[in-house]
Amino acid sequence: MKEVIELQYEIEQWLYHEAHLLDNLLFDDWLELFDEDCRYRMPLRVNLQEKDVPDFTDDTLLFDDDMETLTLRVDRLKTDLAWAETPPSRTRRNVGNVRIQEYNENQVTVKSNLLLYRSRSTEIGAELVSGERTDRLVKRSGKWRLQERTFIADQTTLGTRNLAIFV
Amino acid sequence: MTLSIIDTGKFPRLEDMTKSELIQHLKETVKPEEGIIPAYIFSHPKVYELEMEKIFLKSWLFLAHKSEIPNKGDFVTRQMGEHSVIVTHGSDGDIHVLLNVCTHRGMKLCRMDHGNEKSFVCPYHGFNFKNTGDLAGVPFQKEVYGDTLDKSKMGLKEIRHDEYAGLIFATFNEEAVPLDEYLGDIKWYLDLAFNRAEMEVQGPPMKWVVNASWKLGSDNTISDSYHTLVSHGSIAKLGLVPSGDYSKYGYQIYTGNGHGLNLGMPNPHFAFPEELTEEYKERLSPEQWGVLEKLKNMIVCVSPHMMILISSMDFKGKQVSNTSFRLWQPKGPDKIEITQWQIVEKNATKEWKELSNQTNSLTFGASGIFEQDDSENWTDITQNSKGAYHLQENTFFNYTQGMHKKPVDDFVGPGIAYENKFNEANARAFFRNWLDQVTAE
Ligand code: FES
Ligand SMILES: [Fe+2]
Repeated sequence: MKEVIELQYEIEQWLYHEAHLLDNLLFDDWLELFDEDCRYRMPLRVNLQEKDVPDFTDDTLLFDDDMETLTLRVDRLKTDLAWAETPPSRTRRNVGNVRIQEYNENQVTVKSNLLLYRSRSTEIGAELVSGERTDRLVKRSGKWRLQERTFIADQTTLGTRNLAIFV
Repeated sequence: MTLSIIDTGKFPRLEDMTKSELIQHLKETVKPEEGIIPAYIFSHPKVYELEMEKIFLKSWLFLAHKSEIPNKGDFVTRQMGEHSVIVTHGSDGDIHVLLNVCTHRGMKLCRMDHGNEKSFVCPYHGFNFKNTGDLAGVPFQKEVYGDTLDKSKMGLKEIRHDEYAGLIFATFNEEAVPLDEYLGDIKWYLDLAFNRAEMEVQGPPMKWVVNASWKLGSDNTISDSYHTLVSHGSIAKLGLVPSGDYSKYGYQIYTGNGHGLNLGMPNPHFAFPEELTEEYKERLSPEQWGVLEKLKNMIVCVSPHMMILISSMDFKGKQVSNTSFRLWQPKGPDKIEITQWQIVEKNATKEWKELSNQTNSLTFGASGIFEQDDSENWTDITQNSKGAYHLQENTFFNYTQGMHKKPVDDFVGPGIAYENKFNEANARAFFRNWLDQVTAE
């Protein structure tokens, strides 16, 4: 039991730390959290009738990234020409309902909820991105690394002007 | 001759104008040939109202690609101007475009994005419509209507539709010219995107909302390669495209009825799957193949609000192209729902499809590193176009670029072609077409 509680604590702290890095635009440090061989994906949420089939589809991916393309996105944000984030949005990531699904010494699958508040310029209207993450973390030289993230948003039509931010 | 409201110095309160006064005001203030496009047309609710009536009720509007509904019973729900429609592959084998409004008392019949159904049952009182639109069943019909309800007159409203190159268009206008004629010479270029090979949509469209005028999407599509230099400067800085001014090479072409494109060429590399060369050659004319062979990118506007894009980049050591299309779906005077589809050669390898899809997600679409920066511009222009001062002063934006240039006569494709894509000629032509539409009697 103790072991599970410790693991839960460790993973929660990892997720909070990640949110801190993103909210504070520390993208290089954020990239270091990833495993070299990683996938970062956001399937499309859709409106379906049936309750027994997943209401999202892998056929359309809003993010379909690996280490190479994530690095590209981060490098782009560092140019002074990435207007979508120049000046940067203020973001606040609330990560909660952390549920460990499977684990062993070197690998954890964890689900969590993300509520991301985004404020741009002087606009007072909130742009919110809400959804569920499924993460697979692997242990590399004693540290947890993100090997796979799948983010499923709660909106079928996104209410934010673009995804120049990470989920 | 009556004095125009601008000359009288009176404040042009659009809300207080009659429709013909508004039309008159538009005619006097929008001067496309002079590159004069007033601010208020990008956000004023009265102009939007007029557009809904004069453009979105009258034009052919793109709804779906045939490969989205390959089997009998398949359907997608789409937006047609302000209205929801169901596009079905009916059990009778035909395509139907049905107004998504129950003919009993107006409930939205289908609330799904896509699926496969033989019939649709209304959630309100249970009227049951076949996927061809016919009313098939009414609960307790005998008891509640006796013999007075004629089901054959109560089918879903079927909207006039037609298709080209797998693209399903519909119009609320029974008098509209045939689709073929409406598209005209833009078909030559649509072929490059949709007829070069057997093409297959890769999944349901992604949608996201941007607080911007739909016209900014279309005018950017039809004419604006110039913004690439700065708006998309980060891409050149990263080395994903050759140099800052790469985007000027090629042609800007106008084909009429508000349709036009920017064609980026030449490309030293072939940006399409080599193994499909035979299929391309077979399906395209030699002239079209000649363009495809050297194509770097193609950005097409089909009026009023459709964009088609072929884009290519160096990716994982390869020259990879992706083909996508989208709608700048109006959702109000200052709001659009961008709806984007990705399409790929059906006979391409799995590897190619994955690469092509991945480059599309990376560069275009909601998270696209090209796309992102555009939404920023359009949001702020739309906001900037509002307000009393602009109406009083008749503030206008400058669309005069390239007015000193002459079209070339040696380009292989149809249309009025300018060499060098840095030009606002197509935007002027787009707004001329727009003005003619909104001011038509
Ligand atoms: S409104 Fe549809 S059945 Fe009554
Ligand atoms: Fe752009």
